[in-house]
Amino acid sequence: MESLLLGLGLSVLSAKVLNAIIIGVIILLVFVTIGGILTWVERRVSGFIQSRLGPNRVGPQGVLQWVADGVKLIFKEDLIPDGSDRILFRIAPYFCLIGVFCTLVVMPWGTGVIVADLNVGLFYFISITSLVVIGVLMAGWSSNNKWSLLGGMRAAAQIVSYEIPVGMGLLVPILIAGTLSMQGIVGAQGWLPWDWMLFKSPFTVISFIIFFIGSLAEANRIPFDLPEAESELVSGYCTEYSGFRYAVFFLSEWANLFVMGGLTTVVYLGGGNLPGIVADNAILSVVVFGIKTSVVVFVVMWIRWTLPRFRIDQLMKLSWKYLLPGAFLAFFGQAIYMLLTWEYQKVQYAVAVVVFVLFLGVLLKFIKRVAVNIKEQKLPVNSPNAPLA
Amino acid sequence: MGGYFQNIKDGFQSVFEGMSVTLASMFVRPVTVQYPEVDISTNETISRNYKSTLMGMPPNYRGILNVDLNLCTACGLCQKACPIECIVIDNVKCDKTGLTDKDGVAVKNRFTQKEALKTRASTRFDINMGKCMFCGLCVIACPTTAIKHTNKFEFNQSSLEELVLRFVSDEERSKAEARANEIDEEAARKKAEKAKKEEKAKEGEVE
Repeated sequence: MESLLLGLGLSVLSAKVLNAIIIGVIILLVFVTIGGILTWVERRVSGFIQSRLGPNRVGPQGVLQWVADGVKLIFKEDLIPDGSDRILFRIAPYFCLIGVFCTLVVMPWGTGVIVADLNVGLFYFISITSLVVIGVLMAGWSSNNKWSLLGGMRAAAQIVSYEIPVGMGLLVPILIAGTLSMQGIVGAQGWLPWDWMLFKSPFTVISFIIFFIGSLAEANRIPFDLPEAESELVSGYCTEYSGFRYAVFFLSEWANLFVMGGLTTVVYLGGGNLPGIVADNAILSVVVFGIKTSVVVFVVMWIRWTLPRFRIDQLMKLSWKYLLPGAFLAFFGQAIYMLLTWEYQKVQYAVAVVVFVLFLGVLLKFIKRVAVNIKEQKLPVNSPNAPLA
Repeated sequence: MGGYFQNIKDGFQSVFEGMSVTLASMFVRPVTVQYPEVDISTNETISRNYKSTLMGMPPNYRGILNVDLNLCTACGLCQKACPIECIVIDNVKCDKTGLTDKDGVAVKNRFTQKEALKTRASTRFDINMGKCMFCGLCVIACPTTAIKHTNKFEFNQSSLEELVLRFVSDEERSKAEARANEIDEEAARKKAEKAKKEEKAKEGEVE
């Protein structure tokens, strides 16, 4: 892109700036679309989980539902509450948006497909997502509404206290890969499942679980969505927002979902790695990354419609009393394990394969359980063959 | 201390079980009946496509009322039974006829078990569905099952006047009134003839 612009005869500085602007706009547009489509996917998936159809009227199978929602939100009246802090109220949504979209700079969509491979990529990622806390606090405070303030405070407490398990959960792959650069972490994994960070040792499995639960809390997803639970605080910190400002919050939440899925794929699931024969194919790499991210996003949605919501004290207890000690255990355990097996690469490989096989065993048990449940659910209610209680 | 690890174990087990239940419900057909496109007026379409205890509209559903004027004797019992007085019936004399249903069988009065005879013709049979509360008392009162509930519930109209169902058309009304006038004239003529005969007989007696 830059060379193209230079070829047009622009100066080096303006070519760089124009290049940055164009790529930024392209990525922003693509991710707004993906955020919108994710709302549709969530509504259909949640519908099927609840034995009902989701929206299927607007466009074939309802795919244009998010466009209709966006148009509706744009047309709504832009209210700023009386007595609110006008400046903070206006800029709060954009902090959340920036916090989410700036992470896309370091996301490796495939091997070699990355906007900027910073050598502190992962550190940059975690720091930028902290801007969301500021946005949430500003929104809660400037709404001039007791319950929004409460929602904002709770959200800030939740996000801040779950940053620690997320950070510790990311430390283990950093230990293994030896670099903070996102491309480096992807490169330290392979395409086979037992080459992924997830299965490299029992300690990485523990840290993956901790990281995953922590990132659910970071994204304000159920079971951690107390700040925006409808029954609790109407809409929590975004109660007073309407129209386009609400659309910005809404959008940043859905894009955050995708970004968290992307981070999980890159750090733990070997995002974008391909077998040796097609190793250089950028498009295939992006497709593999997309598939893995979609699976993670589906699991996040699935969890949303399975689990009830945590209370604020249960949330805090989980983070500080369960996830943090678990994260320490995983970190020290992995460090000691790596120290002991530093010379014996074969042992590490064998352990990875064993962990993967154990995971397959658990998956098989799960699938059996799902089959039993399907049979139970297909029986008509009140039929004589339904199991008693 | 034991509780701590038990909590972790319970957490994992309950999430495992819960997620298997929700994944299972993704593979079961949704129970949404997309109503205007799916015919719900009988059980047939629904029980064919939805393998559960979903049913269509029951056959004894109290929907919009319908009057079969071929069975109606214009007795006015439904008008008297209605608690809201939304049925209005005007009737005139007509020829005494027996009633037959669509198979040609003679209709019996449900309560007396005798043959139902039509002695009055209705010139006006209006039911105001806007006021009707679908209680079914008129249906219970009718001796010939002329007035019945249908299965229909979609009945919105553009104005309140259109909610009034008029079962006797204008031609039928004028025909009935004309016939009634004829009957009256005939009766009057017969009476006049009879009177004349009596007078003649009386004159003859006197002479």
